[in-house]
Amino acid sequence: MDLIEIKDVSYSYDDSKKAVDKVSFSVKQGDYVTVIGHNGSGKSTLAKMIAGLLPVKEGSITIDGLEVNEENIAKIRQRLGIVFQNPDNQFIGSTVKDDIAFGLENKRVPSKDMEGIIREYAEKVGLTPFLTYEPQNLSGGQKQRVAIAGILAMAPDIIIFDEATSMLDPKGKKEIKQLMYDLAAGDDITILSITHDIEEVLQSDRCVVLNKGKLFMYDEPEKIFAHADKLREIDLDVPFIEQVREAFGKYKIRLKSDDLKGMVEELCRSGSKS
Amino acid sequence: MNNLVFGKYIPIDSFMHRLDPRAKLIGLFLMIAAVFVPKSWWVFLVIAILLALALLLAKIGIKMIVQSFKPMIMMMIFLLVINALTIKTGDILFTLGPVEIYSDAIFNTLFVIVRLLLMISITTLLTATTNPLDLTLGIEWLLHPLEIVHFPAHEVAMMVSIALRFIPTIIEETMRIMNAQKSRGVDFENGRFSEKIAAILSLIVPLFSVAFERAYELADAMEARGYVPGAERTRYHVLKFRFTDYIFILICVLVLTFSILSRFYL
Amino acid sequence: MPIRFKKLSYIYNKDMPYAHKALDEIDLEIKEGVITAIIGETGSGKSTLVEHLNALLLPSEGSLEVLDYNIVANQKQRFLKPLRKDVGLVFQFSEYQLFEETVIKDVAFGPLNFGFTPEEALKRAAEALKKVGIREEDFNRSPLELSGGQKRRVAIAGILSCDPKIIVLDEPTAGLDPQGAREMIDLFVELNKKEGKTVIIVSHDNEMVYNYCDETIVLSHGKIMYNGPTFDLFADKEKLKEFNMLEPQIVSFRNDLCEKGFRLSRDARTLKQIAKEVAEQVKR
Repeated sequence: MDLIEIKDVSYSYDDSKKAVDKVSFSVKQGDYVTVIGHNGSGKSTLAKMIAGLLPVKEGSITIDGLEVNEENIAKIRQRLGIVFQNPDNQFIGSTVKDDIAFGLENKRVPSKDMEGIIREYAEKVGLTPFLTYEPQNLSGGQKQRVAIAGILAMAPDIIIFDEATSMLDPKGKKEIKQLMYDLAAGDDITILSITHDIEEVLQSDRCVVLNKGKLFMYDEPEKIFAHADKLREIDLDVPFIEQVREAFGKYKIRLKSDDLKGMVEELCRSGSKS
Repeated sequence: MNNLVFGKYIPIDSFMHRLDPRAKLIGLFLMIAAVFVPKSWWVFLVIAILLALALLLAKIGIKMIVQSFKPMIMMMIFLLVINALTIKTGDILFTLGPVEIYSDAIFNTLFVIVRLLLMISITTLLTATTNPLDLTLGIEWLLHPLEIVHFPAHEVAMMVSIALRFIPTIIEETMRIMNAQKSRGVDFENGRFSEKIAAILSLIVPLFSVAFERAYELADAMEARGYVPGAERTRYHVLKFRFTDYIFILICVLVLTFSILSRFYL
Repeated sequence: MPIRFKKLSYIYNKDMPYAHKALDEIDLEIKEGVITAIIGETGSGKSTLVEHLNALLLPSEGSLEVLDYNIVANQKQRFLKPLRKDVGLVFQFSEYQLFEETVIKDVAFGPLNFGFTPEEALKRAAEALKKVGIREEDFNRSPLELSGGQKRRVAIAGILSCDPKIIVLDEPTAGLDPQGAREMIDLFVELNKKEGKTVIIVSHDNEMVYNYCDETIVLSHGKIMYNGPTFDLFADKEKLKEFNMLEPQIVSFRNDLCEKGFRLSRDARTLKQIAKEVAEQVKR
């Protein structure tokens, strides 16, 4: 059985339209899965259902065999963390270390053990010099790192990133993405990342494409982008490299490389041949 | 807003800063009682000397204390005028036109004013030396016994500390929305009454809607991190009474005792 | 008439121990009738700079000329309203400034403040809403019922309805999905090309700046590091490195092709044009 199993899940905020419509897929332990789709395609709703922040009324979600429902939610929350979009609205403590402590306090970790855990995970995300900082003196990227440290301190199996980089400046984006890739590189943490960043999708193991609440595709990124035309149909971006392939395809030049440097080489060779 | 001193925390390290917030809160109540009880100037003198000593230990300049009196000046003058007009006992000190000023009027008023100033100084000393979070923890501890009658002391403390945490964020947001509305021609300073109302609405309504959105997201974030209102939690900050805290409280108790006894013997 | 900054400095908390010089003797000219990007790291002074354009901030030292207005340090400003009508500023996350009961009333709020009659204000509001692509059936809905992207459009319409000559936007695409961002940019390009508005965009999105902005200003620590054509900035690898800027992929691709001996004209900025010119050289 896979770690996360989502079966025929639907959700609607009011009776009119379904935000999530009969979505089914499953995620293996240790996988790094990205979720793409337009704003309003149901990505965040689905994430909130997995995290037990919205009730699963239709269909079922199980995490390691445990069904996500009110009864199991406390157990599931010990194993799953979520990093939200707005860095300010998830900073609960009055300083960095207080914020990392927040989850530990809820988990009833003994007071004397907290300092060590806080230091360990602050170190892991590079926040050691900022432990006593207040949120208003931190950048967006630093605040998101605090959120990640707070979640790692709980030793979770699954971390959901809900557009965690979309409100950051380029520097912050880069830092958080790198941190995410590092976490994904290990086998212990399963990552579900909701994103608009096509380049991030290329780094993931698998990608879920949602459109108007429905599952549109679920596959390895390379296979998904091989259907650039299908993505275009629903107005989604394709990676730059696929755009290049398409642009040259119009002139009957078929580029086969899977990186830009290779494509430039190919163009040179075909240039010198003629 | 920047020169508002009353209630402001001064983030430095000192003997007074290191005292347990609970000891300081208990001390505050004892000392305020001690200021209220006496009828003798001698007690005030003793309290003032102790206060000066505490200020010295807190590394807080007298300037800050004097500044904290500023908002009270109007009230004091008002008090003086009222008393001068109404209290007609004691000796006539002098006459101002048709009004005769009696000694009791002056002395009674001065007595009340000194009492008030001492209270403000004591409170300023507490807030200047205790960081708001510790203060909330202290208040929570003091309210703890009320949990027997189902008073949600912990939840209240959590609310207060979150409110404190969000004050800078909300100030920043207020500035941004004000600037946005100014760019749409709103004048927050001048204008007729009806224009003023519209200006204030254009600020308040967005501010509330953002605050609500924040509150929802914050609630989600707290819940996702395993917070259950009312559930038992452990604490990262553990307050610990030390020897000096007991001594501090003891001194405050002695002052109050002296103050009570003074009513009978001085 | 271009916008001119003359030796302009701005100091936050002037005369205080924690005073901070956010803009440092800036001399700057922003061209009329083009799209100009202002870029720079967080805290470089971009927002401080644009808040001078409609006198939300007044210079601590120096002066600036915007349209017919001359703003000088330490002088009382008497033309705030006409200046703010002519220079429309759209703030970051502008969707949070909506407050009226209906979309159209909110958009008419600006024109009313600037002295238009209620009928005229509503007429302008309706026009502005159409421009940003809000459907007529949504005019009388509460702004709170709209999606995030739609709210932002309404907020932008709230500035367009005042008919500004200069439109300044602070991070207008932040938080939108790629399609939403593209539609937003298309709107600004249209305002510039069709109506001749001067458009100034503060942005972190280098890809967007490269693709759509004619001119670019780079700020760092309150000083101007670059002010000139966007194309020349991105063509200069050394400069990008110096300013700590990420190279958009299309720029790297173009530069790689040039290095390998392909000759690309200045017009070959878009992928479409690059492919066309390269294809010609490959097939020859």
